[in-house]
Amino acid sequence: MKIIKRIVDIKHWKRSSKIAAIVTMAALALIVVLTVLNLSKVDMMNHASDQVKQMIVDEKDSTRKHLTITYNDLGVINYLSFTTTGAEAIKESYVGFAGQIYNANGGVAKFVSQMVNYTYRMLGCGENVLHGAKLTLLLTTLSMAFGFVLSVFLALGKISKNKIISAISKGYIFFFRGTPLLIQLFVVYFSIPGIFGFSWRGLFDTGDPEAVYKGAFLAALIAFSLNSAAYCAEIVRAAIQSIDKGQHEAAKALGMSYGQTMGKIIIPQSIRRMIPPLCNEFVMMIKDVSLVFAISLMDITTISKNIMTSEGNYLVFLPALIIYLIITAIFTFVFNKVEERLSIYE
Amino acid sequence: MDDYKYILKTEHISKAFGTLEVLKDINLEVEKGEVICIIGPSGAGKSTYLRSLNQLEKITSGKIFIKDELFLHREHNKTIERIAADKQKVMLLEIGMVFQRFNLFPHKTVLENVMVAPIAVRKKSKEEAMKLAKGIIARVGLTEKIDEYPSKLSGGQQQRVAIARALAMEPEIMLFDEPTSALDPELVGEVLSVMKDLAKQGMTMICVTHEMGFAKEVADRVVFMADGMLLEEGTPTEVFENPKNEKAINFLKSVL
Repeated sequence: MKIIKRIVDIKHWKRSSKIAAIVTMAALALIVVLTVLNLSKVDMMNHASDQVKQMIVDEKDSTRKHLTITYNDLGVINYLSFTTTGAEAIKESYVGFAGQIYNANGGVAKFVSQMVNYTYRMLGCGENVLHGAKLTLLLTTLSMAFGFVLSVFLALGKISKNKIISAISKGYIFFFRGTPLLIQLFVVYFSIPGIFGFSWRGLFDTGDPEAVYKGAFLAALIAFSLNSAAYCAEIVRAAIQSIDKGQHEAAKALGMSYGQTMGKIIIPQSIRRMIPPLCNEFVMMIKDVSLVFAISLMDITTISKNIMTSEGNYLVFLPALIIYLIITAIFTFVFNKVEERLSIYE
Repeated sequence: MDDYKYILKTEHISKAFGTLEVLKDINLEVEKGEVICIIGPSGAGKSTYLRSLNQLEKITSGKIFIKDELFLHREHNKTIERIAADKQKVMLLEIGMVFQRFNLFPHKTVLENVMVAPIAVRKKSKEEAMKLAKGIIARVGLTEKIDEYPSKLSGGQQQRVAIARALAMEPEIMLFDEPTSALDPELVGEVLSVMKDLAKQGMTMICVTHEMGFAKEVADRVVFMADGMLLEEGTPTEVFENPKNEKAINFLKSVL
């Protein structure tokens, strides 16, 4: 609790963190301003060429419309396009930004308009990107949590004097660090049910339409947890072994058992040293979780891949990258704050 | 209860790291309430001997008795007479230790440092342990620092906390492994004065020290060690004023 208090206390923040906080606030303020300046659909439509305007009027009561109107509103930036097919095809697109309307038929504006369009698609489709981000974060957090708990046992096992326990832990860590995560995921999702004769979706009520996704989620959670346990175990082991030998001796001289020494003296001290590399591992995990596209779980990667397949436009991956960057930036910032606070005791 | 002759006795203690012999056949008897100072040049095996008494070092061979009861008997790096681990553990609680580099628990406050072992090992309740700890911290004169973390304390204060932490286990024997060697000169006095108080209160103490003044003033017996051997033993007057062994004569010449 003391640690949390210190983290929140702004007086102790480094200058760079204060600047980062100010920049974030300024960015938020800018977004508010842009939202206020945002143009309506009517404003955008008014900017269309006379030819298009005429066509809209002509086709108003017609059942067969040649003109396709695409309108995306992202809150701070708008995209509007008119397209027809045929001999005299019309291709007009506009981007509305900060109260201004720009032609987006070529150059940078065209690129921006496409990015806006795909971002909108990713945010607006049924299994939208926010849903995907939620899945990514849920899988990352749970896998890291389970993995960490398991990793403490693995780490203690690896440094144990018992040769069998030590060998098992070492073997586990070597196996999971030495093989690709994607194949580990495949083994858990495909091979294990094959060997033991069950199916992941069958573990959930067969009447449940979500059963297939729940099964895939469980399989992914197990695979990622087992994998992160191996990576975290090395972090935990290194942290435990970095604690001064004198701490062990002092605890022993006071009559404390090995378990008490570890539980009350060594592990609490080593937690502080584990946190920076564990935070790194968390950020790595966010990115690793994108592998779930291989078992059709709807995360950010899968959604953008699906849009790419249906639209045939590869630009859709750029907004996906930006979404990942935003997520990792947020976590990196928060973790940096945590590390800064923790270093006060050292 | 006091129907024993020696509170601590070691017979033929030897210790080798590979072929390097650091302790050679050390015999020492300690009576209850005695203060023994071990002096000698560095590398003499003083700390190793002290650490072997409470099992921080495994001896190669020899016998250790606590209150005339066999605690450990090893020959050629093998335990000869196996004492039940539980019993050994209880016997070890009679021995407290203070280290050269304090080894305080940095993540715990002064009070928590002193309380942790009584709760974990002696199974005292939190209230009992706190009462005990506060009393002992007052004895070493650090009541106003009770909620500080060790990193906020001076070396002398840290060492006094370390003494309090050892005392909280209510040992009958205290081992001091060069308790003032890591301290700035002006902080040595406060630690020595706590040790003197302890000696006056009748604590059995074995101190490895370079503080000859302290040894002269407080010790009942002074032991001189060099090259892993116990070469001279006697009252401070005997050892300091009339040493017989040549190495002791040379050593004392250089430090006095």
